[in-house]
Amino acid sequence: MLTDFETKLLGVMMMVIMFGMGASLTFRDFLIAFKKPKGVMVGLLCQYGIMPFLGYLLAVLLGFPPALAVGLILIACMPGGTTSNIFAYFSKGALALSIMMTSVSTLVAVFAVPLLIEFYSNLAGVTGEFKIPAANVAQVLVVLLVPTILGMLLRKWNANLGAVVELLGGFLGILVILFLITTWVPRNYQLLLTTPWFVYFAAVGLGLFGMLLGYWLARVLRQDSNRSRTISLETGIQNGPLAVLIVTLTFSGTMQQEVLLVPVLYSLFIVLSSTAVTFFYRANATREALARDQAKIGTMAGVKPAAA
Amino acid sequence: MNREEIYDLAPWSKHYGDSAQSKLEPPRDANLPAMIEAAGKRFGIKSAFTCVMPNGMYGNLSFADIDRMSDAFAVYLREVLGLKAGARVAVQLPNCLSTPITVFGILKAGCILVNTNPLYTEREMKHQFNDSGAEAVVLIDMFADKMAAIQRETGVKHVILCSVSSFFPPVVRHIIKAIQKYWNKAIPTTSLPHVSINEAIAKGAQAKSDLRVEVSNYWQKLKHDDLALLQYTGGTTGVSKGAMLTHGNLLWNVEQILALGRAQITEGEETVLTALPVYHIFAFTANLLSFYRVGARNLLIPSPRPIQNLQRAFENYRVTWISGVNTLYNALLNEEWFLAFPPKHLKAAIGGGAAMHSAVVKRWEEVTGAPLAEGYGLTESSPVVCFQPFVGLRKSDSIGIPAPGTAIRLVDDDGKPVAAGEPGELIVRGPQVMHGYWNQAEDTAKTLRDNWLFTGDVAVMDSDFMFRIVDRKKDLIIVSGFNVYPNEIEDALSKHDKVLEAAVIGVKDAKTGEAVRAFVVKRDETLTDAELLAHCRTLLTGYKIPAKIVFRDELPKTPIGKILRKELRKEAV
Repeated sequence: MLTDFETKLLGVMMMVIMFGMGASLTFRDFLIAFKKPKGVMVGLLCQYGIMPFLGYLLAVLLGFPPALAVGLILIACMPGGTTSNIFAYFSKGALALSIMMTSVSTLVAVFAVPLLIEFYSNLAGVTGEFKIPAANVAQVLVVLLVPTILGMLLRKWNANLGAVVELLGGFLGILVILFLITTWVPRNYQLLLTTPWFVYFAAVGLGLFGMLLGYWLARVLRQDSNRSRTISLETGIQNGPLAVLIVTLTFSGTMQQEVLLVPVLYSLFIVLSSTAVTFFYRANATREALARDQAKIGTMAGVKPAAA
Repeated sequence: MNREEIYDLAPWSKHYGDSAQSKLEPPRDANLPAMIEAAGKRFGIKSAFTCVMPNGMYGNLSFADIDRMSDAFAVYLREVLGLKAGARVAVQLPNCLSTPITVFGILKAGCILVNTNPLYTEREMKHQFNDSGAEAVVLIDMFADKMAAIQRETGVKHVILCSVSSFFPPVVRHIIKAIQKYWNKAIPTTSLPHVSINEAIAKGAQAKSDLRVEVSNYWQKLKHDDLALLQYTGGTTGVSKGAMLTHGNLLWNVEQILALGRAQITEGEETVLTALPVYHIFAFTANLLSFYRVGARNLLIPSPRPIQNLQRAFENYRVTWISGVNTLYNALLNEEWFLAFPPKHLKAAIGGGAAMHSAVVKRWEEVTGAPLAEGYGLTESSPVVCFQPFVGLRKSDSIGIPAPGTAIRLVDDDGKPVAAGEPGELIVRGPQVMHGYWNQAEDTAKTLRDNWLFTGDVAVMDSDFMFRIVDRKKDLIIVSGFNVYPNEIEDALSKHDKVLEAAVIGVKDAKTGEAVRAFVVKRDETLTDAELLAHCRTLLTGYKIPAKIVFRDELPKTPIGKILRKELRKEAV
């Protein structure tokens, strides 16, 4: 388990990450999202429709014991991770949409996440000591809104500082995962060795299936391919550090260790899988852009673009 | 009344109004550096230029900074590089903080500025540098490899490299540069011998204090007739030519622009959004020179594409003025964020570069509540010739009236004035008209006759003595002997709600000689050609209705967004 110091450190880092997320936003972004809610609504549907259900489904199908099930459902119900914005940027996606989805899902999380956890935990038959009290979750989320709003104020006060903090927050998100891996994995390698394959499958699959379903649901809801790729990354990438924080604040001892297993494994693998997916998406985006350019050059040169 | 008097009595003068504000004042200064220095002294620590990146990161320089750095750059050119007065120095930059420093520095050095489009191909660069005889080039680092490939074939001896992030605060500068270099791979590594803009300014400042240079000695003797700028034009129709614009041309045009806008300008208080590139004559004179002169803050946007790049600039600054072209305004009006929060403090917008569409103007004015006045001009006239007055009678689809101090006639093919209300080629005489094309006596003689500039544009004067551009003379389509002007058809097409933009050309036709062909970009996927033709029938007489409508994803455009009909014509052949 994490030491008391490490838990505190994690809390502080979470604050900084949310500060960075706030700094990526302006108050107007929110207002615009509420005035023209379509893109964000599609995103929210993917985020809180697909992911929690997917987590629940995997837990039930793979016959997870309560400790693992609650970890899986928890991570599946988390709002979008701030690192998704970096991935969206690097995949040449719709950055503004990614930022909006992360922030709106974080805002909505205060109400949605406790309810979803409660609902799916009950559905999966998680009871008693393994249940995460909804109040705990709500509390953590409310506390994290404070640095978010401070970040937004910073952005408003100085756009340069805001943009730098935004970037730092994003990279810190990845650092925290590395921090978790380096502190948690060596102490638990024995556990990792005895962890059955289906736990790994769920930890990796949650992210990958989430991205796949997110992409297609967005397509079905008539988002273009670029926005769909962004929504896909956003759906698959959950706020892992937040899940870890909630676990460490709720459980202790071996219980904490067990519940942490899935969120930590998820966080570890999501960095790898979303990096791979980012390269894939980037290549797609580049190909589409090239095709558009080709069409343009074709018209410029007075010839029809060759059929691809 | 003889035909000349129809125009030469300037019947449109009544629209100028009699307020002192719209009066044309002769330029106070003998040359551009004098104007630049006066503004630098007067507005001192106020922000002069703010370069805004798409994510809101910005760099800022005050009038005093610009004055000091452009002085240092002038000394660098003259003392360190050893350039003589009258040497040509090209600036090939997108809008960034280095642009005003180097442009003003070159003028202060008594050198001649050659504005150059950074998106030029190697062939176009070579032509422009050789034709102008440029000895030094101020270049954006993103295209250093193009320069490296051609430098030996030109007379360019010195290259000064700038970055978009030059003069940004340190941390931000490094982040932008790292992203450009390592992620976007937009900055090539190059073996091109060069100095950086920062080095050049440091060396210039050093030389200035070591040699006790008085920068004003470089420019004090420059007069209105002295050449300031070679502005290349006609690149889209064959070989590009350098229009010779003098200090007087530009100073007068600045005053003419201010006569238009002074009523809406509080000196030292305005913020103007400069999304059009200042290597283009429109933003060069209107934004860079005129607004600097009145102490405005210029928001420089390195790239307005995608249009979302303008969002943070609108959000973070009180934009009071904006200049743009039809495509830019149209693009903004199609952005959610813009419609949700149109700029509150906007006082006025000016449109030019290509004809504004009345549907766009109307919508812009509804959305922002501020007038959008269309101007008309050419590279050869620094550029403003006509504009719509902000006060008094305003008409859509009109370029308004000649700028004060400008004479205009509409003439037939023999150069004789046409009757009032008849279409004729617009010719211009005024203090803003160029002195000719650089080293092109023949083209100069064709374009400048008896001090009249022949524009090649066909216009009509209406009963209110306001002008309307009908079209380019050479874009005229003749359908069964009837004259059809593509602009009119384009305007009709773009009035349809489901049309994003449209372009019209003439194609050869066995029956009618030429036939109207329309290229349309849909705003709404459901649009059909039958629907659009039905719409045309309500607005246009039979022979003007497009014989064929071609739907496309986009239209070919010049860097400032002017639609290239020429390319469409090539394609149609």
